[in-house]
Amino acid sequence: MTDKRPLITNTKCECGHQNPVGTVLCEACGKPVDGEEQLSADNLEMRYDGVARRSQRVNPGVIDLVWNFFSSVKIAIYLIVLTLLGSMLGTVFPQESTFLNIDASTYYQETYGTAGEIYYKLGLSHTYESWWFVTLLVLIGASLVICSLDRVLPLYKALTRQKIRKHRQFLTRQKVVLVTELQDEPEAWVARLVKPLQKKGYRVRTEGGALLAEKHRFSRWGPYVIHIGLIIFLLAVLARGLPGLNMDQHLAFQQGEAVRIPDTTYYLKNEKFTVEFYTEEEMPKEFRGTKILPKLYETKAILYECTADCTDPSKEPKLAEVARHNIQVNSPLSYNGLKAYQFDYDLTPVLRSVQPELTNSESGKVYGKFKLDMKNPQRTFQAGPYTLELKEKYMDFGLNDEGQPVSKSPYPNAPAFLFLIRGPDLPAGGQQYFYFPKQVDKEKFQMEAINDKLGGSGRFLELEVGSMSDVDFSESTAYLNIRVDRAMPFVWIGAGIVMLGLVLGFYWQHRRIWLAIDQGELVLGGHTNKNWFGFRREIVSILAKADLTVDEKSLDNGGGLA
Amino acid sequence: MGKARKPVQIIILFVILLLGGYAIGSSVFGGDGKPKEGGKAPSFELLGLDGQTHTLNEYKGKSVVLNFWGSWCAPCVKEMPALQAQWEKWKDQGVVVVGVNVGEDQMTVENFVKLVDINFPVVMDSGRDAVRSYGVSPLPTTFFINAKGRVDSIHIGQLDLGTLDDQIRKLVEP
Repeated sequence: MTDKRPLITNTKCECGHQNPVGTVLCEACGKPVDGEEQLSADNLEMRYDGVARRSQRVNPGVIDLVWNFFSSVKIAIYLIVLTLLGSMLGTVFPQESTFLNIDASTYYQETYGTAGEIYYKLGLSHTYESWWFVTLLVLIGASLVICSLDRVLPLYKALTRQKIRKHRQFLTRQKVVLVTELQDEPEAWVARLVKPLQKKGYRVRTEGGALLAEKHRFSRWGPYVIHIGLIIFLLAVLARGLPGLNMDQHLAFQQGEAVRIPDTTYYLKNEKFTVEFYTEEEMPKEFRGTKILPKLYETKAILYECTADCTDPSKEPKLAEVARHNIQVNSPLSYNGLKAYQFDYDLTPVLRSVQPELTNSESGKVYGKFKLDMKNPQRTFQAGPYTLELKEKYMDFGLNDEGQPVSKSPYPNAPAFLFLIRGPDLPAGGQQYFYFPKQVDKEKFQMEAINDKLGGSGRFLELEVGSMSDVDFSESTAYLNIRVDRAMPFVWIGAGIVMLGLVLGFYWQHRRIWLAIDQGELVLGGHTNKNWFGFRREIVSILAKADLTVDEKSLDNGGGLA
Repeated sequence: MGKARKPVQIIILFVILLLGGYAIGSSVFGGDGKPKEGGKAPSFELLGLDGQTHTLNEYKGKSVVLNFWGSWCAPCVKEMPALQAQWEKWKDQGVVVVGVNVGEDQMTVENFVKLVDINFPVVMDSGRDAVRSYGVSPLPTTFFINAKGRVDSIHIGQLDLGTLDDQIRKLVEP
């Protein structure tokens, strides 16, 4: 099955080393493996030290083909470019996730016209959650892992198994080369170089008249460290989709009520919300009288954790306080990864309960007082000799098309209560009485007229609230943004590792000097990955310590690098 | 290059396939977490008017017509007789109609049930948990859930007797 491919048999170097397929430079002596390449005089290709990448195999199977696809840097670049273009599409119009309450199916068309409609229909209003975008990210992730493994392991092996004595061609085809006469005794001269090299930070190994000096090899791992960081980053982003790792919701907290935070065992209570504005004196002149500037938004919040009866709706949950914080802008309540940010507020008072008195409108006699809750009220009340039975309750009183009383919303905007009162001097079946706690509703809905009709002209009972202290209402509603993002630390760790890799790769260079003295001739080759100018200077200064004066420029063997 | 090379390659590719498959899968099928037609109906645990806690699970094996309503919502009120009629017609054939009241208190719900004269099970979603997990926004919204616990269809807006009957028939005789 191999006869369709060119038979590559000539991978054995003249030094006797058997190289794997795909090797460019002999793993042992550094001589080019390819016959044609041996005849050339150009600079050597030093990528990955000329070793074969893992994916370069003679007979790739299916697994190898998949592996090879992802190990290609070309593919990786295409993927990155595609991802960049895809991300750009997501920035044309705001993404759906940036809005709190919109109907996306109509919003885009209404706001941006036909273009918006097409944008929405193409699914670009949620680009970053779309299957194709996630697929691109996954492919990049795969490419990152496989590219790295495909290169880092062979490179690691090549760099840890370096031979000191290299082939002459390997040395003379580097980008830094020196070939010169040298009459000194080889071993002694080489020994003289060791100290100055070490002083410059090189690790030096010698073998007879040959020498290998190397420094900052770790900078070669920079790109792979970056890749590890990116992989952690990608995995962390991926993990945000797992249940419980990420939450972002906006909830309303009416003052004085512990509200359950969905999908958690936490309850949060808004004890008091305050908004303060700058006074005229505090503002600069040009703002006075024209602007209202808020100074403080603060929600006094208590966080509770449910300890028992949490899910059973027939029981009251048992709560234990776990945290307390005055939430201000940029100062969220933070507990165990859960954060509550100040987001919005509403100062519309919401009626919670009233304590009306049953009075005799003729004699002025007060029979008694009872507490009437807006939500889940008691059904019967006793006031003196009178029993009041709550028959109907309307939170937002109104009349429907047929003229029947209904509630227009579940919110206590215009609460109304229908009582059946029984007691002395009343008809045997009792007397009906409509009660509107809010003064404005009493007038609007003509409470008196209704009750006159219900109770007849002889009615003498009224429900009235004595003072404001008998009215309980929530002064405010605080809107908080509740967030949990447990994947975030890993995003930061990933980003930190990327930074570390960048620093490793950018601020240090891997420098190597090979040197051999044979028959009165010194052959020196040098390789680094950047700052060739500095590298040549360093070599010149080191050679000078061994009484060898070299012109810096003469070291440059071309290759177009400074 | 040791002998472990091939297995290592396979393991790495497998892990990538697994993680990638999960990521892509959740972006395709996960959506916004709201139930879709054909998707699994989210479970709920709500207090019924009978004082008992009711869950979706207890209707397992039955077709469920889950109707979200509020006493203040006029179309909800109007469709109640149709729901009641279909409940009476189908209850012996493995169909249960469940009314989910959205955010009102017990008294309001009790009075309403008495007023419109319905006797199918009614549960109260006072914390709007089911509303959230079912992604209900306008009322009424009705979910037709088959015996396997999957959402067969979703109807937003008022139901009339005819459509209701057709939908239930589809549930019972697929």
